[in-house]
Amino acid sequence: MARGTEPIIQIRNVHKRFHTLRGTVHALRGVSLDVMPGEVVVIVGPSGSGKSTLLRCINRLETIDSGSIVVDGIPLKGARNINKVRAEVGMVFQSFNLFPDRTALGNIVLAQRVVRKRKKAEAIAKAHDLLAKVGIPEKADAYPGQLSGGQQQRVAIARALAMDPKIMLFDEPTSALDPEMIKEVLDVMLALAKEGMTMVVVSHEMGFARAAADRAVFMDGGMIIEEGTPDVLFSNPSHERTKLFLSKIL
Amino acid sequence: MDERARTESIRSLPQGDPEEEQQPPGLYERLIAWLAGLPWWAIILGVVAVAVLYSMLTSEAYRRVIQALTDNPQTSTEDLFEVVQVVGEPTMIVGAYVGETQDSVTTVVDILLDKVIDRKEVTHTGFILAEDPASLTIRTESGLFTIPKDRLVEEKREPAPGGERITLTYVDRVTVSGILTKRTDKTYTVRTVNEVAETFDKARILSRTVIPCEQVTAANCVEGEYVTIERQGEIISGTLNTLSNTNISLILEDGSQREMRRSDVDRFDVPTLTVAVNARSANVPVVPGGEVRIAFVQGTDIMEALEELDSLEDVPVPLRYAEGQARVALVGYPTLDEALTATGAGEVNGLLYLDDGPERLAVQSWVEEHPDAGVVLPTPPRECQKGCQVSVKLKDDAITGRVAEETDDTIRIVTTEAEYLEIDRAKVLENRRMEPGVCALNNLRGCNAGIFLTLRVTFQAYALALLLGLIFGLMRVQTNPVLYAFSTLYVEVVRGIPLLVILLYAGFVVSPELRDNVGISLNDEQEAVIGLAFGYGAFIAEIFRAGIQSISRGQMEAARSLGMSYPQAMRYVVLPQAVRVVLPPLGNDFIAMLKDSALISVLALPDLLQLGRLYVSRTFRAFEGYNTVAILYLLMTLFLSMLVRIIERRTRLPH
Repeated sequence: MARGTEPIIQIRNVHKRFHTLRGTVHALRGVSLDVMPGEVVVIVGPSGSGKSTLLRCINRLETIDSGSIVVDGIPLKGARNINKVRAEVGMVFQSFNLFPDRTALGNIVLAQRVVRKRKKAEAIAKAHDLLAKVGIPEKADAYPGQLSGGQQQRVAIARALAMDPKIMLFDEPTSALDPEMIKEVLDVMLALAKEGMTMVVVSHEMGFARAAADRAVFMDGGMIIEEGTPDVLFSNPSHERTKLFLSKIL
Repeated sequence: MDERARTESIRSLPQGDPEEEQQPPGLYERLIAWLAGLPWWAIILGVVAVAVLYSMLTSEAYRRVIQALTDNPQTSTEDLFEVVQVVGEPTMIVGAYVGETQDSVTTVVDILLDKVIDRKEVTHTGFILAEDPASLTIRTESGLFTIPKDRLVEEKREPAPGGERITLTYVDRVTVSGILTKRTDKTYTVRTVNEVAETFDKARILSRTVIPCEQVTAANCVEGEYVTIERQGEIISGTLNTLSNTNISLILEDGSQREMRRSDVDRFDVPTLTVAVNARSANVPVVPGGEVRIAFVQGTDIMEALEELDSLEDVPVPLRYAEGQARVALVGYPTLDEALTATGAGEVNGLLYLDDGPERLAVQSWVEEHPDAGVVLPTPPRECQKGCQVSVKLKDDAITGRVAEETDDTIRIVTTEAEYLEIDRAKVLENRRMEPGVCALNNLRGCNAGIFLTLRVTFQAYALALLLGLIFGLMRVQTNPVLYAFSTLYVEVVRGIPLLVILLYAGFVVSPELRDNVGISLNDEQEAVIGLAFGYGAFIAEIFRAGIQSISRGQMEAARSLGMSYPQAMRYVVLPQAVRVVLPPLGNDFIAMLKDSALISVLALPDLLQLGRLYVSRTFRAFEGYNTVAILYLLMTLFLSMLVRIIERRTRLPH
């Protein structure tokens, strides 16, 4: 795994509050995190700990209140062309979010044509390559409604990869899947990690974390409690809250 | 196409094994299967609908209403469109250069190479345009040509004996206006002069003179076809509408009105009412409870005479009675003489005499002849002014023209021939369409009333409403407070005002203001379209808003995370899905709008309902009239809801 010297994602003291009718939720309380190019970081933590919010802040699906996030040298705050940044950062959602009115192929082709302005034939060729890569070349003409959850998530990964992103963000990609489908998605992610893709993954899949991750981060209450190599964090956590959490999920 | 047909036929060839026959079921079997799948009430409803339609189409009364409601379409017409076309093509002139001013070049032309088929076009327009200051003047053997410089396509000069030879190519223009009658891929045919023809009964012909072809200017004259016919004046019968010193106007049996100058009238028979009374009782009013005895000549229309009497400004005293205060006895006599004698003898109080013939003044002359009979005329004889049945005979006249059609009873004479001009489409520089022609099955554009107007206004208004609805619907899902507030204001205000009020507002407030202050003048139809679209835009905006909001936020996020901008994500991801969701309610609104388009009759537009009302008020056949209006609306909406259902099924996503 090739490593750069400059972090590709720099998160510095980020605060994020959600204002709802019932009051203000302080979702991120001064989070700082660096991700090096080619690094795979797994974020774990109980629900409501701010993992997903942090991930969504990285491609500015959520804005931040204070602090700074720099992605690939571009500070997100006040970035003029956020769409350019987003095109470099692929995102995979828990609920897949495939476009239901387009075939698997159409899902992968659309953004290539609209954002990358690729020629139709080029976009289709790329889509076929990616479908082969995620292991479902025969499903090119199937609609999302005709695919299983695992297949849908693999199309979603292919869709994100079609933009040739430098970074991939995974927001609990396997949480909505039946157990037997989890492996097929994790295999694709594992292969991606081996190729040297920079990945930030919110997931509770310890097996994947141990096999692929360079670093694991434990978050709780909107703060990073502890971080380290997956082996150390999962088998020998130093923090009480980490221990408590791990004892519940293992 | 051919290829497929061939493989089909090969496949359906008997393969030898009868058990193998797995042909798809035929149309008939499929129809039966489909019928069997319907609920019992649907079958009954269907049968009733077919029966109703059949009886409507075969009944004369209904056929007439349907004709009225569909703008009376003819089966075919040649009056397609009124057009003004500018025709021209490059023309080349070769000649000797004579001289040049700032604006023009003068040339002696020895050859005139014009490629315009009709040479008249060239010279003609050339002369007209010669007055243009920025022009070239060229002399040909036939004179000087002046060619406007802005028409010049090419100019070539070369030295030649006697000066410089010049070759000019220029565009020539002719304006043609008339009625477009035929259109092919290559040509337009325009009728520039209309035919004028008259059909009349052959019984009226007094004499018929054939005009020899030498005396006819028409190009294709057939010997014996051109005639001069002297004919008897036409006899027209109808209900008297107006009678003035100069004009007579009748309402004919078919409801149309015919106005004639009295100078053209040879004779007209308008019933004349004469009132005669007994001289002794002339000034004696009827005692309440008494009896009024009125004499008449048997065989005359006494009821019409009484009506005519009532319309007199001052009814003579012995015949004047209040309703219910006196008994009226009508006494008929076989002859006028007996009736008048009886009047003089006091057997009756008075006499009514109504006649439209030469005997109309018989009473007057009888009284003059018998001054001592005891009969007086309290008012002078009076002609019926309105409402009575009359017949008018026009003066004899002559007609000259071509015999177009002759049957046993009638003859059709064309007095002015139509002139047609065939124009090469490639040469038409400008094609301006004025008014659509006659409503016919081959020219539905010309149908501007009834069901056609309803459909056209609905389609136009709906297209506009969709646009408004989409714009305001998109504004309603924005976080920008100005856009949101503005669109919400529109939706709430328009939804709260009845559509009828909006239409009246568009027609009588907005449209006059636009005309007076901005200078845009809208016709009634445009007012109706704008009113309907504005009113429905609010509902459609809400449908679009709901549709967009029904698409999960994840879709927008996924699209944005791929680097799409907000408009791109809306355009390519959210809207296509939202449109699927909103198709059924949009279809419902379309049907609702078709029905609500009946309201546009308040803007004096002859839509389906308005024509129905006119028909009913003319014929008093409310039952047939409104039945047909209702059924036509129903047919249209049923057809549309079927269409909406098919579209819905087509756009459903596979699962």
